[in-house]
Amino acid sequence: MMGKPFSAEFVPELLAGMVVNFQIAAIALVVGLALGALLALARLGGGVLGATATSLIGLMRAAPTFVVMFFLLNIIPRDATLFGIGVAPSGIMIVALSLVPYSASYVADNGAEALKQLRAGSPLGALQFLPNITRAFFVLVMSSSAGAAIGVTEGIAVILREAVLLPSLGGKLVVFAIGIIFFGVTLQAGFALMRLLQRHLGRLATRGSSAP
Amino acid sequence: MNRAWRILLFVVMAAFVVQPAVAQTPDAALAKLMEDARAEAAVPGACAAANVDRLVRAFCENRIRPGIREYYPLFGTREGDVRSGYDIDVARALAKRLGVEPAFIRVNAASRIPLLAEDRIDVIVATMGHNTQRDGQVRFIRPHYYQSESTIVGPRALSVKDWPDIAGRTICVTIGNGSNAQIVSYNARLMLFDEAGVLPGQLKDETCTLAAQDDSFFDYYFIEPDFAARFEKKFGFAQVPWGMAVARTASAERLARALDLMSQIFHRDGVFLEIARTNRVSTGFLERQQATWKRPECNTDAGSSNPACVLPALNADLEPTPFVGRVVAFEKWVKASTGIDLSLPMLKTMPAWMLFKDGIVNSLILVVGALAATLLFALVLGAVQSSRSILLRWPARAITITLQSSPVVLTLVIAAAVAHALFPYSSAVAIGAAIMALGLMNGSNAGQAIAEAMHTLRTERGSAQGRGGIPTRELFGRAVSRSATQIVSFLINAAKGTPIASFIGAPELLSALTDITSFASGRATTYSLLLVFYVVVVVIVVWLCGKLQSWLERRRVTA
Repeated sequence: MMGKPFSAEFVPELLAGMVVNFQIAAIALVVGLALGALLALARLGGGVLGATATSLIGLMRAAPTFVVMFFLLNIIPRDATLFGIGVAPSGIMIVALSLVPYSASYVADNGAEALKQLRAGSPLGALQFLPNITRAFFVLVMSSSAGAAIGVTEGIAVILREAVLLPSLGGKLVVFAIGIIFFGVTLQAGFALMRLLQRHLGRLATRGSSAP
Repeated sequence: MNRAWRILLFVVMAAFVVQPAVAQTPDAALAKLMEDARAEAAVPGACAAANVDRLVRAFCENRIRPGIREYYPLFGTREGDVRSGYDIDVARALAKRLGVEPAFIRVNAASRIPLLAEDRIDVIVATMGHNTQRDGQVRFIRPHYYQSESTIVGPRALSVKDWPDIAGRTICVTIGNGSNAQIVSYNARLMLFDEAGVLPGQLKDETCTLAAQDDSFFDYYFIEPDFAARFEKKFGFAQVPWGMAVARTASAERLARALDLMSQIFHRDGVFLEIARTNRVSTGFLERQQATWKRPECNTDAGSSNPACVLPALNADLEPTPFVGRVVAFEKWVKASTGIDLSLPMLKTMPAWMLFKDGIVNSLILVVGALAATLLFALVLGAVQSSRSILLRWPARAITITLQSSPVVLTLVIAAAVAHALFPYSSAVAIGAAIMALGLMNGSNAGQAIAEAMHTLRTERGSAQGRGGIPTRELFGRAVSRSATQIVSFLINAAKGTPIASFIGAPELLSALTDITSFASGRATTYSLLLVFYVVVVVIVVWLCGKLQSWLERRRVTA
């Protein structure tokens, strides 16, 4: 114990757990894209449908992810079926679905803006939607750590179960620091990717405007 | 002389009359009871009489019908025609002592009392805890034939010895377990599961670090060498005596009395203890009971009614609220009017009502605290990051990047770990740690926005204090106004993030309602109300933040 305060399996398990964080974020984003796109179109359409979509987006923005997660966990029966097929979601799906209000409202907001840009004749302005979605994806990755609270074995759950066995605060802080480094590198890499994408789109915009 | 003899004889006889009756042994009392019942059974036509006494009927039919379980490892299991387990062997021993055959009938937790009431079984020997609620439904046999307790099970490497060690930890439990309320009172966080059967698996795959369930349930798993090598029982609590039971009718009273006496004898003579050892179930309770029933004051025919010898039933009644009647009436009205099965457990019992009220108050404290902390850290970190001194600026940036790189749950856990290292665990410490964590996370981001605004203002104006420009304090004020949108956005984020404080044991509303649903029904209604509560709170915060943003923007225009 003079060397590493953590077990040999810790890092591989942490990486495997982080894969789960990415899975959750991906599911939440895909569902959010579908739902958010519909809401954005409805909002831009105006009328009663538009007002309803605007209210719905407002409510989704206000819904705390952690509460939504516990709501879904407790409201959906474990033996729920649809046409005889079991539809009770797994822990991963519950976390992903709890992130959908955030991702869908984010997509609806940014999607509506992108559609406005497109209609105003600025396809490159509309393309700013892509880096914004990349940003949302990494926010979702970080937020998916809430799954630790309902027993989903994602990255933070791995860190916590390693730390709980360590008697000293110093040992725990080392394990936490490793977690921050792993998640931090991922997040910063994601944001670097987003900046690259933005620059690339910026160059495209410059070329587009200078073209005859 | 003759008169003197008469007086002496009277005195001696009077002495015998006023002397207390010599207590019978339970063996003698049982023998007499069985002899009388056998004699009654032998009377022609007695067995065919209506509502025949159940002890007499047992002799008439030469059988007793014990209701036993078939899928409760170590206590009642069945493989083909072979039944085994502690309860099965106890039922066999009872039948043998009566001199009749056991005719086993399968029961489960839900069916055992109805089957007894319908006279389809004579006696329940089926892992049934004796509590005050069941006392009104069946006649429990005293002394109790076993006792289970809830036990906390966890990895051997984890140092947990008593209640103070579980504060702030997560414990996996089953919904509806009577001991959950006690766990909650020691500031542990609950992770709820529908079935006890999943708990060992959750421990093995480390989803749960600690789990609480009846020790009789875990006994089976501790037979597995792998499980026993990894896990141990940390400590037990909430002892529940198990009782055999017969119907609460006059015709069953003599059978109950016979079983009372047999249970006494079986404890005293170690019959229960031997059966437990054969079936490899815990024997601690039975060893203590053997010592009790060997004591002269207990080893009498009246021992089973002596409060000094028998154990009381577990008091399972929760104190109702003063307004429970109106709550129930409202639930019925909603059901009748809309068909919606509304259940409001948080308003029906005092423990739930107290948890609910405290949860709402703590949630509001958390929201206000998180907003204040976010604003404070935003201003402090914004000011430090705007400093011209690298020694101040870079550490603040490092803190911001670290906080941005840490998932919210991890930041909360770190704050809680540091707080618990400095202070003994309490709800206030957990709430304080959560406020600090939420404030730091959101405040660092808002502070970064302020620093960026400060940078752009300096670039735009090319001025600073001491060079004939705008004083730094005023420039900072303008930077705060310029970053109003970002500040407001992170304030809203802080308010939305407060429920996650339940993860480190802060007793806010989510935590309180999870605790309530662990020992009461109505999960759907409870969590729907929770969602509505938090959405309303966030909507109010959004509205207030909108006012703040307008004020900051007006200030910017004025400047």
